[in-house]
Amino acid sequence: MSNTLIDGLKERVSQAITINTSVGVILPSSNYSDMMQALFEYMSSRNDHFWVYLAISKPYENIVKQFEYASQMTNIRFIDCVSRAAGITNKDPNCIYIESPSYLEKIIIEIMNIFKEVGDQLQKTLIIDSLTSLSIYNDNALVTEFFTHLINRTRLKDIHTFSLAIEEEMDDYINKIMYLRSNKIIKLRESFI
Amino acid sequence: MDLVKVQLTNSEFLSTGIEKLDNLLEGGILKGFTTLILGSPGSSIEILSKQLAVKGKVLYVTTDETEQEVMDAITRFGWKPEHIEFTDIATKYSKSVLSREKKRVSIYEQRSKLKLKELIEIGSSGVMPAVKAQEDFLAIFSNSAKTTSPEKIILNSLDFFLSMYSQEEVLRTLHAAKVANIERAGVLFIIMTKGIHGEVFERKMEGMADCVLELNVIQKGSTFERFLAVKKMRNYAKKIGIARYAIDSDGFVLEMIERIM
Amino acid sequence: MTNSESYVYNQNRIGLNENENAKSSCPCITGIDELDQKLGGGLPSGNTVLLVGSSGSGKTTLSMQFLTNGAKIGERGVFFTITEPLFKLTKNLEKFDFYDKKMIESGMVNLIDLRIISERLGLDAEKYTVEDASALLEILKDIADELDVKRLIIDSITALCYRLQTKEMIRDFIFKLGSSLASMNCTTILTSEVPPNEVKYSQYGIEEFIADGIIFLGDVDRKGDLIRTLQVIKMRGTNHSRTKSAMSISSKNGIELTPLLKSRV
Ligand SMILES: Nc1ncnc2c1ncn2[C@@H]1O[C@H](COP(=O)(O)OP(=O)(O)O)[C@@H](O)[C@H]1O
Ligand SMILES: [Mg+2]
Repeated sequence: MSNTLIDGLKERVSQAITINTSVGVILPSSNYSDMMQALFEYMSSRNDHFWVYLAISKPYENIVKQFEYASQMTNIRFIDCVSRAAGITNKDPNCIYIESPSYLEKIIIEIMNIFKEVGDQLQKTLIIDSLTSLSIYNDNALVTEFFTHLINRTRLKDIHTFSLAIEEEMDDYINKIMYLRSNKIIKLRESFI
Repeated sequence: MDLVKVQLTNSEFLSTGIEKLDNLLEGGILKGFTTLILGSPGSSIEILSKQLAVKGKVLYVTTDETEQEVMDAITRFGWKPEHIEFTDIATKYSKSVLSREKKRVSIYEQRSKLKLKELIEIGSSGVMPAVKAQEDFLAIFSNSAKTTSPEKIILNSLDFFLSMYSQEEVLRTLHAAKVANIERAGVLFIIMTKGIHGEVFERKMEGMADCVLELNVIQKGSTFERFLAVKKMRNYAKKIGIARYAIDSDGFVLEMIERIM
Repeated sequence: MTNSESYVYNQNRIGLNENENAKSSCPCITGIDELDQKLGGGLPSGNTVLLVGSSGSGKTTLSMQFLTNGAKIGERGVFFTITEPLFKLTKNLEKFDFYDKKMIESGMVNLIDLRIISERLGLDAEKYTVEDASALLEILKDIADELDVKRLIIDSITALCYRLQTKEMIRDFIFKLGSSLASMNCTTILTSEVPPNEVKYSQYGIEEFIADGIIFLGDVDRKGDLIRTLQVIKMRGTNHSRTKSAMSISSKNGIELTPLLKSRV
């Protein structure tokens, strides 16, 4: 299939993540699944990293169904913010479930708690999937405050962040905080394909 | 049931002690019958309960007034009971409350008997000490008829037991008392306030009783009219009737009698 | 009447202040990091703190965490429960990682059911007389002294007062409790149950007068989701933060705090 496309994406992800403490990715929804594939392949190839994956776009179950190898990885933990609110009551030791995407403080607490237990020999990286999903459940101002707060705290602990935003769901607010709080913005265009 | 039939063939009645009421009942209460008297507040049911005690060999079980208070009231009306004995639960109850009060005052004494370590151990054990056995007033009631053999037992009132025991427990005891009453061929009056124990329980009581009398007070303009109704009479449908009554210095006076047939 | 009351009241206040000076300045750490930070190290040692919240707000959990964290650094504690029986209390506790049965077995954490004690002493479980209340207070103090505890919890002061019949009795009891606690060498949490969505710190309106500090557990509504909050309303002897924190309760970490995001809540 479009292996060159995935490889190309992986290359861009790799470069951005290694150099920058906070990366923002703005992508059209048509490229979302390609991005996911590239991201998961990249994550599974890096044993020197520890990943926390914040799932707001879709439930953890769906993610591991698509990328079965992700559930076998020992250096990734998931925080699922949508299952409980959707009435899904599954349990998985690899995943922390949060009752609602509006429990922003709880999300921060859980993220920091997971990283607290990770040794310094691993590069700690947080994936936020996605900021635009978060803004569906919360006022923009609150998402801004959350993101600012999160970036401040993760930087203090040398945790890198990799935040996704779907172009069609974005407004000026999200756009502004992405640009303000990220060291590097990756903007994918359909023309890129 | 069979025992009741035996009594029916003897067709013996016991006078209530109130002539007009005997008339309304066409002779009195059939021996072996259990009679429930329901009274709404203000119906002077407590006067009736005492007036019933004048005729015959009576055991009066009193829960709210002491024996002395009952006798004082009877004397005030100038009644002379033929033979009356008492089971004075009111006095027993106030004694038991009083002794508990006394116990409470001595908390410092209690405390000094216990070592602190012991107390800490008890408090950490999580085990509640068994509730101290209180006098069983229901048992006192059901045993009271066994020693004497009265013709009439008047229980005034069931309200007391219902405030202390579950309805099931009370019903069980009453069933036993009813059977004993049949065997004794006596009459048993149970007095209960109407409308405070729930409709279901009232139905159950009415179902259990052979005869149900009901005292009602109805306000008509600025005056109150009092009615005594025979609501139920087992095997004697024609006895269902109603009478207006008043209270004067002689007690209950039944005025106008009306049959509902 | 009014005169003698204000006299009692003043005496208590003076008593508390004197003790405050006499007590060591080393704070009594709660072991809940963010709370200790807020408090500038911990609860001031020897203080009496009113922990206020509606039912289910986390008062019992926070108190227990305070007690077990104390045990971990060698400070013995006692928990007097009034509403919840011990089996229920321990059953809930066992769900939390901060709880270790060994703390009970070693006597570092003591759980005592005040209802059982008052029952054993022949008190009416629902109603206390003035003497009952005073006697119970003395017993409380004696037990705390005997066990030599540094941390003491009464859960809840509301349930204790509920058993007193009149406002005067409650007032009298609260002030006696205040001077009793002030004379003890331990840091105390009194839990106070208030109706939900009400900004008041106690059921009877006087419990807060004997408290050196008030911590309020509440919640804020965010688009229909309730977020638990914790706020230090007052804390004598510290320069504490008054900001509202969001509070999380989890089996793994018990109670945790993080700054509350406030935008357009
Ligand atoms: N293991 C747990 N994980 C998350 N929440 C819990 C857990 N155990 C109890 N809770 C929550 O904590 C609250 C109980 O707190 P508790 O301390 O008993 O409240 P309070 O004493 O103020 O009534 C409940 O609302 C319950 O939902
Ligand atoms: Mg509680």
